[in-house]
Formats: sequence, structure tokens, C-alpha cells
Amino acid sequence: MSLISEKDQQALQKLFEGLEGDVTITNFTQRESLLIVPGQECDYCKETRELLEEVTALSDKLHLETKDFVRDSQEADSLGVTRIPGFVLQGRAKGKVRFFGIPAGYEFSTLIEDILDLSKGTTNLSEKTRTALGEVNQDLHVQVFVTPT
Amino acid sequence: MAIENEHITADVIEISEFIDLAQRYRVQGVPKTVINDRVEFAGALPEPRFVQQVLQALDTGKDVT
Repeated sequence: MSLISEKDQQALQKLFEGLEGDVTITNFTQRESLLIVPGQECDYCKETRELLEEVTALSDKLHLETKDFVRDSQEADSLGVTRIPGFVLQGRAKGKVRFFGIPAGYEFSTLIEDILDLSKGTTNLSEKTRTALGEVNQDLHVQVFVTPT
Repeated sequence: MAIENEHITADVIEISEFIDLAQRYRVQGVPKTVINDRVEFAGALPEPRFVQQVLQALDTGKDVT
């Protein structure tokens, strides 16, 4: 059964017709057991992976790379993914956008908006804000703590 | 903001899955924003005030963790 309803998938597909540049999501998850026991992943790793698979399937401009948190630890380190489920969105953006935990509820719309912005490489922030941000020349790490609503 | 500036990294962290982070950053209500472990505020701010907080996090010496 899909995590995203048919109706929502259609709506998203329509929205994604406006995508410009490609967006890649690099998702770090837990290694599946050699015994191939389905669902033996961290809490929500499976659902996160499935959700991202469903989202990225809705457009040719969206790409999903699934990585193993342990096997691909160097890449996880370089992208600053220290927890799983954790995924990084990359597109025309200059900085990095990461999610930790399943993007459920309100955060799902945050994910979709981020995908759209990353695809364009710009945001709806005001000119004044963009000017102020343009002057930031040191590393800034912004963490926003949320709960699934 | 991360999309506008290469120096900015933005994380969205779902705290019910990472209780240790919720404790570390004393998250009692959401959303809570922490910038460079130095500036923190709860709730959603209007854009200009959010930016003000971001700029305040630059070159300040105070740690919140």
C-alpha cells in the first residue's frame, strides 16, 4: 500500500511539472540483514525510504540514492549525516538541506517546497533577506526541531 | 536560507525519533530553531526577525549547549 494516496500523487506529479533543475536525494539508511528479513531497519528508516521512493518516482527530475549508513560512512560524514534516517537534498542550491527523521505531517510539505526551491535554485525570500544572507561568509548551521503533526 | 547561501546548512530534525537531541537542546516546544549552537528561539518568526537571529549568530561567543 502506498504511503502517499493516489490523489496526492497526482497532485504532486502536477506540481513537479514545474521542476527546473534536477534534484538528488541521498538517503542514508540501515543495512538490511543478510538473512533478508524485511523491515529490520531503524525506526522509520523503512517508511522514510519508501516515502522518498514514492516522491522521487513522480518526476524524471528527481533522483534517489540510497546509501548504507555504516558501509557508506565516509560519505555520510562528508555530508554531515550523523543520524538515520537522514537524507540530504541537493540541486541548484548553494548550501545544504538535510532532514533527520521521517518527513511526516507538516514536514512533508516542507520537503516538497524544498524540492521545488532546490530545483529552481532560488526561494521566495524577500530581496532584503537575500541581500542580508548574501553577506554571510562564515559557516552557519541552522537546526530546526519539529515533531510530526 | 541554505538554498540562497553556500555557507548555510539547514537541518530539519524530527525530535520524537532523536530524544537525545531534544534533551541536548532542551526542546520543550516546536518548532525550535538553534543556529550554530549559539542562538536559539522557539516558535515561528516572521522572516525579518528570523534573519535578525541568523545574523546575531555570527561571531557571538555564547554557546547554548
